[in-house]
Amino acid sequence: MTLLTLSGIRKSFGAVDVLHGVDLSVDKGEVVGLVGDNGAGKSTLMKTITGIYRADAGSIEFDGTDVLPLDPGARRELGIEMIYQDLSLAKQQDVASNIFLGREPTRKLFGLFPGFIDKARMDREAASIIARLGAHLPSINRSVGSFSGGQQQTVAIARALTFNPKLVIMDEPTAALAVREVQGVLDLIRRLKSEGIAVILISHRLNDVLAVTDRIVVLRHGRADANLATARTSMSEVVSRIVGGGDLSAAAMHEQRG
Amino acid sequence: MQPFFARINRFTLALGVAMAFAAPAIAEDGEYGVLMKTLANPFWGAMAQGVEDGAKEAGVKYFLQAAESDQAAEPQLNLCNTMLERKPVAMITAAINSTNLLPCLKAAQDAGIKVVDLDGNLDQAVLDKEGIKITFRIGSDNVAAGAQGADYLVEKLGKDAKGPVLVIEGLSGNVTGQRRAQGFAARLKELAPGLEVVASLPGDWDRGKAASITNDILTRNPDLVGIFAANDGMALGAVEAVYAAGKGDQVTIIGVDGNSDAVKSIKDGRLNASVAQLPYLVGKQAVENVKKSIAGESVTADIAVPTLVLTKDVLDAGKEPMLQYVK
Amino acid sequence: MIHETAQSGLWARAQRTSVEQLHIRLESFIVLIVLSAIMAVLSPFFLSLSNFLNILLATSTIGVLAIAATYVIGSGGLDLSLGSVMGLSGVAGAYVAVNLGAPSPIGLAACVLAGAAAGYVNGQLITRAFVPAFIVTLGMLGLARGLALVISDGRVIYGLPAVMVYVGQGRPLGIPMPVIIFVITAIVAHCVLAYSKFGRHTMALGDSESAARAAGIRVERHRRILYTLSGALAGLAGMLFMARINSGDPTAGLNYELTAITAAIIGGTNLFGGRGSILGTMIGALIMGVLQNGLNLLAVQSYYQQMAIGAVLILAVFIDQYQVRKESRV
Repeated sequence: MTLLTLSGIRKSFGAVDVLHGVDLSVDKGEVVGLVGDNGAGKSTLMKTITGIYRADAGSIEFDGTDVLPLDPGARRELGIEMIYQDLSLAKQQDVASNIFLGREPTRKLFGLFPGFIDKARMDREAASIIARLGAHLPSINRSVGSFSGGQQQTVAIARALTFNPKLVIMDEPTAALAVREVQGVLDLIRRLKSEGIAVILISHRLNDVLAVTDRIVVLRHGRADANLATARTSMSEVVSRIVGGGDLSAAAMHEQRG
Repeated sequence: MQPFFARINRFTLALGVAMAFAAPAIAEDGEYGVLMKTLANPFWGAMAQGVEDGAKEAGVKYFLQAAESDQAAEPQLNLCNTMLERKPVAMITAAINSTNLLPCLKAAQDAGIKVVDLDGNLDQAVLDKEGIKITFRIGSDNVAAGAQGADYLVEKLGKDAKGPVLVIEGLSGNVTGQRRAQGFAARLKELAPGLEVVASLPGDWDRGKAASITNDILTRNPDLVGIFAANDGMALGAVEAVYAAGKGDQVTIIGVDGNSDAVKSIKDGRLNASVAQLPYLVGKQAVENVKKSIAGESVTADIAVPTLVLTKDVLDAGKEPMLQYVK
Repeated sequence: MIHETAQSGLWARAQRTSVEQLHIRLESFIVLIVLSAIMAVLSPFFLSLSNFLNILLATSTIGVLAIAATYVIGSGGLDLSLGSVMGLSGVAGAYVAVNLGAPSPIGLAACVLAGAAAGYVNGQLITRAFVPAFIVTLGMLGLARGLALVISDGRVIYGLPAVMVYVGQGRPLGIPMPVIIFVITAIVAHCVLAYSKFGRHTMALGDSESAARAAGIRVERHRRILYTLSGALAGLAGMLFMARINSGDPTAGLNYELTAITAAIIGGTNLFGGRGSILGTMIGALIMGVLQNGLNLLAVQSYYQQMAIGAVLILAVFIDQYQVRKESRV
């Protein structure tokens, strides 16, 4: 069942054309890798999906709704969630504060004054979301900044989950992680999939993309240049599509660079 | 974490030991509390010296404290309250302004502590309204000091002299500066009407500002004959400006305070005169009079400590008996 | 992938409790207790009810300003105009009551309103004209002080109506009114900062503006409210001092912004935002108050007091950094 359908998406900034008619579809519960060289238009494409950019032409249909005229807040309510590379975490606040930032459950202080945070409930719900992700954090009450990169990623994903998303877009979630933590994040992505949540994974780390995705879409010069089933492709094919056509020597070089 | 605890303990111990050594003698009955504006000024330093010598001669115990600056009104009030905890028999206070110490002085009075206005910063009308009765006030008569400046100027230039005169006041609104400026202007008008005060501007006790004012007025009144500044710092600023303009011989400059910089400048023949206050004498007499008052003797309500005009002649001759109190 | 941290022992547990429930670091509280103990040993006058009230009274104005500093610095901002606005507010209140003859409640309200107005201007300039907070509030420092001198003609405005004086000098149950007002303000400010949505958003904002924005917090509006609140608190401090000395003093609060910031920092507020609590700040203010009071009782010159407070500031931040680094080295 198709969740997201993009067709003929065009976007230019002044004289610079970034997207020249991108077609892309994502199924419910599908993990799609989005790869491409720097400047291929990955970020722009994702921001047109979340609504930060408005596409110049084309259509975006999400879960049966035309989302093109909707603003980012409305799209988020429909279930499109994005986790940026910087995670947008408030590093000195604790886990629950980050997960519920801006949407804290409130109660009345002494039954009189509104606008006070129901911290117990917030902690409880935060803990249950972390548990649902199968993750484990040192303490729910410690500042997020004292956590490792992978643990922070967990918090960011947990926050995304509280919006009940149908699609989570992740921008380079493994780029800054220690090797032993990468597996943990990939496990989280699989967990999302198992809950029926679709994921678009943007990454330069092709090993990770190959390990966790169902399908890989290669973006090149503002077009979806290739659409490969992960099970039937290989590292070298992906690399060659990224750098363009059958230039295998360049592909080998790119691969070496990792 | 264990070493951290140990660290705090070590720090505590060190601090404790250091302070135990630094701790002064514990208070005894009959102490005088002396509260000054600040000690970061030779004027108050000299007064503190006077207090010390006076207390030694009179055989009384005192403790002296001062705020961190002469504008720290609330810190001085807090300090005053703290001093009351030591239960002095008298509080000799130089308030930063006419109201900042009121609640403390009231509390002192209620506790039966004698209150003395050191250097005349309190306002009698305000004291009456607050119901505070001070034992006495002691200090220089600022109006008289200004007048003495005018006396000197007229004596030097003559009764029939004509020409523009500049007055540099203190911080705008400050009573001390105003009284000196007023005293000067009034006496000058009386003695030599030909000498006209063409400008009376606030120099904010600031040497640089006084120099700028002097420059500006010299531009407007190139024939300026005299400058009266409400303190020595500003007078010395005026000296610099006047000499830079090459008019050192034409303009007579008078300051107030008699501080060491001014004395030096007078000896060098640059500053013409300074109406010296005798803060040492003020401090000394304050303690002496408190002792008298506690002993039940009557004390004048308003003790004016004389001021002395310092000139090159006076300093060089060195015969003036009061010179020993110029610090 | 994630390991349970091997933090154990009483100290660690106590620490975690302190951070979780009281939003303070235990060290500052220990320093306060130890300092008080030292003073009690050194001076026979230190341990008395009247001296205790003295300390609170002396801390009241700075304490209220430090609350403002904690909110603004916690949000990643800065308000250098606190002391000047305090001076302006006292003069404004005294002017309204004495020169214009307004009734006492209006005179008292005028203090807070004058402060809030100055803070509102700060907030508008910072969020709408995009001038950095440092510059805007530095400008306001001069503007407010100058205006206070202009309104008062450089003199103290003496002679408030009795009700206003009571706010500063009254002692219901033997407790000075400024202390009562200060303590109530601190409790309310603590609850709001630690437990309300507004307070948590304030800290999140100072932590990461982009995270706050992404979470849908109206960042500019929040900042405007914070600066206005900061000004209003400065106005409250101005009111307390004005009422205490029965006059509006245009030079009141000179350099207090720095003292207030010092108290907040000693209390554990992160100078760059994102962390801080009112309880911590109050401990910071009391550490300074106890130090000053104790040294005053010992008749130590004010110069040494300034040195001592400077040293405590550096020591507090050192301990803080030590702890933060320890925590992040997990």
